[in-house]
Amino acid sequence: MSSSSPTDDHLKQEQQAVALAEVEEAEQLSAQQPHSAEKALGTDISIARDRNRKASLITFLWGLPGFVWLGFFLVAPVVFIILVSFWTRTDSGFIKEWTLSNYGDIFHSHTYWMSMWKSFLTSIISVAACLVFGFPVAYFLVMKIENQRNQIALFIFALAPFWTSFLIRAVAWTYPVAGREGAINQALGGLGIISDPISALGFSELSVRVALIQLYILFMVTPLFFMLSQVDRSSLEAARDLGGNGFRVFKEVILPQTMPGVVIGSIFIFVLTMGEYGSVRVIGGGNVQSVGTLVQNRISAIQYPQGAASAVLLIAALIVGVFAITRFANLREEL
Amino acid sequence: MSEGITSTGGAAAAAPPTPNRSGLDLINLTKAFPGGTLAVDDVNLHVDHGEYVVLLGPSGCGKTTTLRMIGGHEFPTSGQILLDGQSLVELPPYKRPTTTVFQHFALFPHRSVVENVEFGLKMTGVSKEERRKKALETLQMVGLETLAERKPRQLSGGQQQRVALARVLVTNPKALLLDEPLGDLDRLLQLKMRVELRNLQRQLGLMFIHVTHNQEESLSMADRIVVMNDARIQQVDDPLTIATRPRNEHVARFMGDNNIIRGTVSEAQGSRLVITDANGVKVSVQAGNDDQRAVGAAANIAVRAAAVTVGGGAAGDINSIDTEIVFVEYLGDLVKLHLVAGGERFLAKVPGDQYPTLRGKEGDTVRICWKEEDVQLLAD
Repeated sequence: MSSSSPTDDHLKQEQQAVALAEVEEAEQLSAQQPHSAEKALGTDISIARDRNRKASLITFLWGLPGFVWLGFFLVAPVVFIILVSFWTRTDSGFIKEWTLSNYGDIFHSHTYWMSMWKSFLTSIISVAACLVFGFPVAYFLVMKIENQRNQIALFIFALAPFWTSFLIRAVAWTYPVAGREGAINQALGGLGIISDPISALGFSELSVRVALIQLYILFMVTPLFFMLSQVDRSSLEAARDLGGNGFRVFKEVILPQTMPGVVIGSIFIFVLTMGEYGSVRVIGGGNVQSVGTLVQNRISAIQYPQGAASAVLLIAALIVGVFAITRFANLREEL
Repeated sequence: MSEGITSTGGAAAAAPPTPNRSGLDLINLTKAFPGGTLAVDDVNLHVDHGEYVVLLGPSGCGKTTTLRMIGGHEFPTSGQILLDGQSLVELPPYKRPTTTVFQHFALFPHRSVVENVEFGLKMTGVSKEERRKKALETLQMVGLETLAERKPRQLSGGQQQRVALARVLVTNPKALLLDEPLGDLDRLLQLKMRVELRNLQRQLGLMFIHVTHNQEESLSMADRIVVMNDARIQQVDDPLTIATRPRNEHVARFMGDNNIIRGTVSEAQGSRLVITDANGVKVSVQAGNDDQRAVGAAANIAVRAAAVTVGGGAAGDINSIDTEIVFVEYLGDLVKLHLVAGGERFLAKVPGDQYPTLRGKEGDTVRICWKEEDVQLLAD
């Protein structure tokens, strides 16, 4: 285990983070599994692999299309974005003249740092809220529904909102749900709780944050659902038997065993909400700024190098964030 | 069959359990599952501290449900569970002075061996140094102190079994409940663990209640065996009695290697009965004082295969049959002769070293006989 070099690990981490930044979650998940399995089995597997070169060649050939695909659609665009961020802006686009001024502009831009901070805050709130609201849902589905058929049926039912486009759900949050004449204000007014409609619900920071939680919560529920399904029920009985009450069993046995699910869900939601611009634009109605909308603004204003530099910084922030989240998991596992 | 539920083979049945007696008492313990199936039906049992009791029976007989009710993982529909006179029924598992070794060990996969063992102490608020010290001591007792930092998945089945034992022993329980504790181990390891487990129990002087479907395991380990079938206790006795004096046909069949003859009483001279079956085979038996039967009454008997002698006896004698050998099963120390007479199967176990002198071959006719005192009159 200790033989794997730290630079290799670091490289892998970066690759993962970049992959996530480009919203390639599917590849990310499947790439992570063999990685962790290899770690778990330690040196045995690496010895076996050395012995069997033919097998490794076949493995390489299987992986080749994936590498080509990722190289062409993921690595190349990112490299290109990084290059552009160091080139000079012209009125019609950019020319290949090296400069650091794009980054200099950003570092002195109060708007950029505010957007970055707000996006980060929104991300953290979304991750935390999805965890707090999502865990009970997954827990209920797995632990309280005895019949497996009902369990799967309810899980699919919980996925139902995902059958529609996220944009449609985002639009639904604007006037129909959270607007001045929307469902929430109508209901609260009807119940006599408020006399005037709350305008802060629609096209505001608050509405964006609330909506993002609803839009992405299933990215937390799904990995938790599968992790919880794998928790050995008899180990829970053993924990109760050894003196653990409900809370202690949860904290000491269930939570540590579902930590990988928490981490995967958190990475999903952190990355998706931090880089989010479509939903922010629709739900915020132009009143809310995020790093995503900022990048998009620069691109529409034909400020490609500045847009690219903003995007590079966003990717860097995502790498740091994902790295931090995985550290948190390792820490938990060691406890 | 209603006598079958008594606690110690009949004698103790009349005495109602005194509330403050030491040890574990199950009183009229009943568990009905939704839909009305009775998993455990009116079980009465007393277990002393320091006693090794095995609940034995086929799967679905209610033995595991009984164990789970004692541990608090299943709640009785009616009846009482007393430990040293105190009722356990209302207590959740974590407040009971019992602990369970689960069937597949149920170790915590995310914790190291020593952390698994520490768990129970952590739950009761023992300080970190204290519980680490105790956990390591207990690991030493089961011979695993060098593997303390490993994760459970890095251990063999036998080692996992020991961790599971250490994990419950460290909490100092009043009674240890073991659910098929050797079921996941291969046969050689099973044999080794039987001795180890029994020695451990003797050292600790602790009450062990062990559930298994393995007859040999129960005979080799138990102080007393509780044979269960169809949610009820069939017989409670020491291993020797269970093996040689089965109470009823179920116990005789379940323990295996018994010749069962079903007939009617043809003669009754005092307590001595002669029973004749449909083929005219005559068997004599001494009936117990509480089981006198009149001439003409149905009576089934059991004779252990090991009590059957091959050769000897005279034709038409009581306790003797002419049979044909249909199959010879050589098992090393002993040979099982599968015999047929009048369409009924019989079984004789002959010591391996005697077999060459008998020279029994498949197709040969041999006369088998047994002694009257080896005949057991079966209830029901």
